[in-house]
Amino acid sequence: MRTPLLIVVVLALLTGVPPFLGLGLQNTFINVLIACLFALAFNLLVGQAGLLSFGHAAYYGVGAFTTLHLMQAVEHGFAFPTPLLPLAGAAAGLVVGVVAGFFATIRSGVYFALVTLAIAELLHSLAPHWQGVFGGEAGLSSMRMPWAGFTFGSTLQVYYLTLAWVALSIWVLWAYTRTPFGRLTLALRDNEQRVRFLGYDAHATKVIVFAISATFSGIAGALQAIANETANYSLFSAHVSAQVVLQTFVGGSTVFFGPALGAAVFTVFADQISDLTRSWQLYQGEIFVLVVLFAPTGIGGIVEHHLRHWRQLDWSRLAAPYALGGFGGALVAAAAVFLTETLSVLFGEPYALMRKKAGDGYPSFDLFGIHWAPTNPVTWSVPLVLFLAGVFLLLRARREIAALWDAIRSAPASQTADDEVDASLQSTQHSPV
Amino acid sequence: MSMPLHSLQLIDVTKSFDSTIVIRGVNLEILTGERHAVIGPNGAGKSTLFNLVSGMFPPSSGEIRLRGRSITGLPPHRINRGGLARSFQITNIFHRMSVFENLRVGVMARHRVRYGLFRPVARMHRINDETREILALVRLDGRADHMAGDLTYSEQRALEIGMTLTTGADVILLDEPTAGMSREETARAVELIRDVTKGKTLLIVEHDMSVVFSLCDRVSVLVYGQILATDTPERISANREVQQAYLGEEAAL
Amino acid sequence: MEFAIVSALNGVIYGLLLFMVSAGLTLIFGMMGVLNFAHASFYMLGAYAAYAVSSRVNFWVGLLIAPLVVGVVGMLVERFLLRRVHTFGHAHQLLLTFGLALIFEELIKLFFGDFPVNYRMPENLRFAAFTVFGTDYPFYRMFIGAVAVIMFIALYVLLARTRIGIVVRAAERLPNMAEALGHDVPLVFTSVFGAGAALAGLAGAVAGAFFPTNPNMALDMAIIVFVVVVVGGLGSLKGSLVASVMIGLFSSFAVGIDWSLATLCDLVGLGAWARSVGGLLTMTISSISGTIPFLLMLIVLLVRPAGLMGERN
Repeated sequence: MRTPLLIVVVLALLTGVPPFLGLGLQNTFINVLIACLFALAFNLLVGQAGLLSFGHAAYYGVGAFTTLHLMQAVEHGFAFPTPLLPLAGAAAGLVVGVVAGFFATIRSGVYFALVTLAIAELLHSLAPHWQGVFGGEAGLSSMRMPWAGFTFGSTLQVYYLTLAWVALSIWVLWAYTRTPFGRLTLALRDNEQRVRFLGYDAHATKVIVFAISATFSGIAGALQAIANETANYSLFSAHVSAQVVLQTFVGGSTVFFGPALGAAVFTVFADQISDLTRSWQLYQGEIFVLVVLFAPTGIGGIVEHHLRHWRQLDWSRLAAPYALGGFGGALVAAAAVFLTETLSVLFGEPYALMRKKAGDGYPSFDLFGIHWAPTNPVTWSVPLVLFLAGVFLLLRARREIAALWDAIRSAPASQTADDEVDASLQSTQHSPV
Repeated sequence: MSMPLHSLQLIDVTKSFDSTIVIRGVNLEILTGERHAVIGPNGAGKSTLFNLVSGMFPPSSGEIRLRGRSITGLPPHRINRGGLARSFQITNIFHRMSVFENLRVGVMARHRVRYGLFRPVARMHRINDETREILALVRLDGRADHMAGDLTYSEQRALEIGMTLTTGADVILLDEPTAGMSREETARAVELIRDVTKGKTLLIVEHDMSVVFSLCDRVSVLVYGQILATDTPERISANREVQQAYLGEEAAL
Repeated sequence: MEFAIVSALNGVIYGLLLFMVSAGLTLIFGMMGVLNFAHASFYMLGAYAAYAVSSRVNFWVGLLIAPLVVGVVGMLVERFLLRRVHTFGHAHQLLLTFGLALIFEELIKLFFGDFPVNYRMPENLRFAAFTVFGTDYPFYRMFIGAVAVIMFIALYVLLARTRIGIVVRAAERLPNMAEALGHDVPLVFTSVFGAGAALAGLAGAVAGAFFPTNPNMALDMAIIVFVVVVVGGLGSLKGSLVASVMIGLFSSFAVGIDWSLATLCDLVGLGAWARSVGGLLTMTISSISGTIPFLLMLIVLLVRPAGLMGERN
């Protein structure tokens, strides 16, 4: 049983390592866990039911606000165990999810996406004006109250609380895929019309799926409220909804753990890279578009694909082209980063000032520890050369890799798939959304 | 409770789309337990009729009764729960799920496990056993774990029929089940249909007259949205008007 | 009274502006089944392109060049990006255009900064068209409306009366048949996509000189335009027009209405109580005017799920 072992190892690491990490990293871990839960809740709707929601921040946000209200009540003496606070988020997500889901699933396809976006925006535009519920523009704040000997004052305690809830929630989401309703959701995504003719009320089914997804999104929001002890209307913004979409598809929506993978990667990326450059969201967007264009099943899908064909993979022959492709990709990325950062400098305010001082000329600037002159063709040839070299290597590698995979696919159809891997990694089938 | 004489009744049913009248006043009565075919030239409205009966859209006027109770204008899932199930002319299966799961979805509905959220479906033995029965009935046991999208055409048609049976309906509508099949495949399909509709009421749209002859008790001829005649297959094929309507169409007559 | 007239004018003109943007979106959807999430980004690109040109050359040259630039960008997007994901299905097209919208927003921020830019109408257009009860009504607003109306007429004539229009409509209905008849359908698609983008770009170029031009304008416009097409029905130009004007009017009037539920309570003498409760009861319509389009959408979804003009699939 390979996968349960993997899960135990991961859980052990997640439990044992953080006490030895600094506060900053502990916080990052908390954010990663919350993002993973949110993405998995989101994927319930997308990967399972085929419903693409662009406004999931709504349920995340109401979860956070409701929890904060409960926290404020506890602060003022209401006896409620702190570790159970996320229940408030779940309840809020459920209620709002049922109502919103009812409206959103009246129509399907593209309309569904638009309505979900509008519902989130409705909350986003309403919240700053509603002092009582959302704390107006400033938002709400509270404090975690101690319970049963735990102060919940340290980041580490908050981390373990988050870990417990996230692990439990993920287990429930996983179990869901095994229930009759979970299988029905898959069928709904595959062929909604047929589901109707088999005696199911498709609209009711969709509302239920939506509500479940919103419930767990509410728990994620609650965990954020507990960790940050504050929430404001920006939690409803399109940016929050966009992040979960990006994370889910970069990670892969066809594999159960794909979105968690994407959430982890992008959260860490945002955390680390946002300190280094202003253009980190541009890079995120570009990675997302590249995944949609060239790797629609995401990182998770690619990993699952390799695991499924594991016994047929001849690494002695695959290693070289993969390395070549990886190197080519790195060169292209370097070119993109160089160009972007250069443009960022050249079009930025500080440079405009420098230009004025230099009498409207084009003075040199510093980037990556080197001095560059904008008028020197060498400056621009660097990204160009990197890009061309990278593309060349990528194309070479792609041809070789494609040939090797063709050979693998046309190999005699022996059931080489590790069935356990298959069953436990996949809750959906192979095609992207 | 005794079974009504008529399982299905269409009373003055019409259907128009915008300004095009497709069904012009159809009166049809299907006896309980009979096997009834609907034949007619292309464009006569046969699929539209099926769509009306199964609830895909409501009739523009008229009434449809299932076992005496009106189902006019009801949505498909309510009609299905009332005991009527249909297959589709263009295979309408769950391509990305296994054959077993394709059938199980319908069986779950039959057992009213529609929103079952608290037990893994793998432990629902009655449902799984019944699914395996239907799997055997449509002779797809060897392909249980294959993805439905990977099946051959006639295997998919068999699955299509199987899915129609899973909900336990006793009024079965089959829309051109043998379309695109070779002679041998058609013969096998007819055997299958005969087996699985024992004791049920069958309404079948067909182009292949040999199927109609070997399978059906009565035939209705639909031409330009109206029933031209309803009779036994032998008398229908001898009917002058029917022959005229089919001039140039069916060689099998 | 003055309020009613001014609001009505503002509402209709804002509605026409929304229509300029949503027309392209709805045309492209009707033709290619693609909902272009980045359509409002073309609106923003148009505004910024016009700003870039007009700050170096001339406002009118900017108005001319901006739609052309945006149109070309649109054609490139369709030809090299959208077409690639066509085989993956509608969801992937939606995701791709969603990603593009993000990228466009970030690119604008890269080149022009996070804050609004000073794109203003030229001085010679800064006069009053007429006076309403003592208030000057800006000519430029009328100009925006006029551009929208001209565009609508031109679109109608083009589609209904010219050969190009017939080919486009044929390609929309039955692309395979149109191709069999010798028309280069992929080229038609690329051109329509580019034209839709250019329209949005023109709208941005014109509106950006009056309304704020900032990196958020794409998102703000996108959301309203999406509400328009949900209410009006995707694929229906008439529906877009009606929904646009409706939303324009509702939003416009809402801005000036200071009623709240407490005002309603005044009628039955419970005003003081309502005000003491606060919260939802004292929220004025004017303060939540931004929320009005969404409420409208929810109501339409309940009452007429297929949209005002019926759903086009």
